Amino acid sequence: MEQITSSDGYTQPPPYAALRVKAIQSLLVDKGLVVEDALNEVVDLYENRIGPKDGAAVIARAWAEPEFRQQLLDDGTGTLAELGMTGFEGAHVVFVENTDTVHNVVVCTLCSCYPWAVLGLPPAWYKAPQYRSRAVMEPRDVLQEFGTFVPDDKEVRVWDSTAEIRYIVIPERPAGTEDLTVEQLAELVNRDSMIGTRLATPRQEAIA
Amino acid sequence: MRLLQANEVHDAIRTPTNFTRPDAPPTRFSVGDRVTVRNLNPTGHTRLPQYAKGRTGVISIHHGFFVFPDTMAHGEGDQPQHLYNVRFTVGELFGKHGGNPDDHVYIDMWESYLDEASS
Repeated sequence: MEQITSSDGYTQPPPYAALRVKAIQSLLVDKGLVVEDALNEVVDLYENRIGPKDGAAVIARAWAEPEFRQQLLDDGTGTLAELGMTGFEGAHVVFVENTDTVHNVVVCTLCSCYPWAVLGLPPAWYKAPQYRSRAVMEPRDVLQEFGTFVPDDKEVRVWDSTAEIRYIVIPERPAGTEDLTVEQLAELVNRDSMIGTRLATPRQEAIA
Repeated sequence: MRLLQANEVHDAIRTPTNFTRPDAPPTRFSVGDRVTVRNLNPTGHTRLPQYAKGRTGVISIHHGFFVFPDTMAHGEGDQPQHLYNVRFTVGELFGKHGGNPDDHVYIDMWESYLDEASS
């Protein structure tokens, strides 16, 4: 852990939340309720192995292959299961598609439900009370604060994940990307575009 | 107690829990039906958001026959029910609204949260 030394030469303690997590962890391990290596494996999985790159690969393929796109829309859960992208926080998944007349955005007003199995852990703002309450009440204002302007003639659809269904947005494919491979397209699928708070990254803004 | 080992973590995380149940009775509602949300205020766990109570919407999806968290959370069994997605206009939920009148909020709701709309 990073040590912060204050000007008087003493070391600041870590933040309260970090101390609390350490205390709970060492108690669970000392009492033999949790295997420490297993805990580290969980952390490693969500820090390094399961994340938005997984979802981006699925979306890019949906852009490139109309049949796959239709399969995702018809049976998100089954299609993801075939790809091994199922499991905890992702047992039932519905894909919703942005079009030239509809913009979708996902929220969990009750807590912070999120498709971990496909996108990894949720960003901090997704769990914040401000996002959770305002996304349903004033979705257009919230989207604008993310830099996403939805024209008035486009319908906004907000999906409140109150049950065990996890929603994932298929963003619109950016213009001028016809010649890109699926791997290159995946670079344009940013995490927030699958939540619906942003659009897919335009080609010129993506790292070449 | 058997402890989860490090080499079992990946498979455990990748094994989905099936929240659906077989032997579903007939549904009370069909896609397109207008429904009004009951003004339920249980003392315990519920998945019914406050802002939808008393509001009228339209059934947009029938998800299937799902376990009921409101009883599961209290050790009262899974008591499965049909789960629907209900579409509300933002105006119906929150009154005057600056965006498009077709802006909608879609909320997943168990059958016992809903009544047929009166008009």
